Amino acid sequence: MEEKENNNSKKIAYYPGCSLKSTAMDFNVSIEKVLDLLEIEYEEVSDWNCCGTTPASNISDELVATLAARNLLLADKMGLNEILCPCISCYNKLHKASYYLNNRGELKNLREEKKRDSIFKALNEMGFDTEKDFNIKVYSIIEFLNLQKELIGKKYTELESKRDENSKGFSILNSLKPVCYYGCAMLRPAGVPKFDDIENPTSMEEILKMVDIRCEDFQFKTECCGAILSLTNKDEVLRLSGEILDSAAMESGANSMIVFCQLCQQNLDLRQTQINKYNKTHSSMPIFFITQILGMALGLSPEEVMLNKLFVSPAVIGKKN
Amino acid sequence: MAKTQKDLKKIKEDLLNYIEPNMYNCYQCGKCTAGCPLADTFEYKPNQIIRLIMLDKIDTILDSNSVFLCLSCDICTSRCPQEVSISAIMNFIRNESWKMGEFKIKNISRFYNLFLRILGKFGRSYEPGLIMGLNVLSGKLFNDADIAVKIMGKMKIKMLPEIIKGRKSVAKVIKKYL
Repeated sequence: MEEKENNNSKKIAYYPGCSLKSTAMDFNVSIEKVLDLLEIEYEEVSDWNCCGTTPASNISDELVATLAARNLLLADKMGLNEILCPCISCYNKLHKASYYLNNRGELKNLREEKKRDSIFKALNEMGFDTEKDFNIKVYSIIEFLNLQKELIGKKYTELESKRDENSKGFSILNSLKPVCYYGCAMLRPAGVPKFDDIENPTSMEEILKMVDIRCEDFQFKTECCGAILSLTNKDEVLRLSGEILDSAAMESGANSMIVFCQLCQQNLDLRQTQINKYNKTHSSMPIFFITQILGMALGLSPEEVMLNKLFVSPAVIGKKN
Repeated sequence: MAKTQKDLKKIKEDLLNYIEPNMYNCYQCGKCTAGCPLADTFEYKPNQIIRLIMLDKIDTILDSNSVFLCLSCDICTSRCPQEVSISAIMNFIRNESWKMGEFKIKNISRFYNLFLRILGKFGRSYEPGLIMGLNVLSGKLFNDADIAVKIMGKMKIKMLPEIIKGRKSVAKVIKKYL
């Protein structure tokens, strides 16, 4: 127990990424509020840069690793070696970069070692000291919340006496019949920690169970939504995301979806009207970020977790029931 | 810089030496293709890509849409019973095609180019500039206008770019690839 409290008092670096500062501001705000409620100390990485995401990674794996690595060394300069990275695309890029920084010895082949050398060289040119040994750990939001499960449960129980079951937040939570949607990038990419089952992960459900939220089974949990093809080959996204919404409503009987990836959220929520038009369907399913739900369960109001920024309003749940 | 036979041979050598030495373990079960969300859209399915490499037909891969549309969702790799890293193979070919100036799908290479230019300028992505830039470059000015209206209605976007102090060092890293 004592050891756990020590862990919790340790400060963590926070890397929001570009989307969370813009079109996923609701995700960012709800994460920060939940961290505050859990009394987890965090500090945003100072002067962080974009990780390069899909464009950089599709152009050159060396380019994306170099861009991502700069952020890790900025956190290191702040004296922080644990980084919370909620955007799952950034997470994958930062995690890969941490592999090159943490492993100074022999890598799997010459090409990888050459790549590491050139990443280090670029970082040196930026003025970073790369001589020391690094021990950097990057967390995705679900891996991180999963570790805080007991704490979340404890806070939830503590608040029991103060809980107003008639509040707006709770009436939304009480009307939920959600599925959890994980998307493709949490466990599948090579090298990331496999802290859950790849084909049928349940960590989101287990986190939500701590705050008395039950979720339906869902076949499309780890299917891909089409991701960033929304900007160049939109029809593919409308088709794939449409299948995900259909399965949630028809097969799982869900009235809402809980996610942790802002790109999935954007494709499913913002584009839901386009999805309906393209597939000739009539979905009206609110897509929540897991931290919005956790925040409300821990007593925050819908406004505080920015529920008003969802395009498919949660009010549709009440109407249907 | 167009591709030569020498380039293609080198790609295959690098694939076998560094990316997936066990590629020949593939026995064409097709599990990768069964799970691939874009298999219907690909001109060559993931299992066919592996076969084409074995047959020294990397130019055929470069002339088709598969590696460029691939979402890197990693279903193929995670389900392969022979543990062949199909998605790493696809990514390597995609990376090499950019180096050779052979990135076949123009609207995607235009997007990547613009994305990196914005990144080099500010150090971070800038969504309004990216979306408007893409619409101008593709000549489809009103693409996603419905969505723009929704986003503006909720002010769910940052209108001004965030500019970082270290943008010059970011720009320097990117410059090599543009």
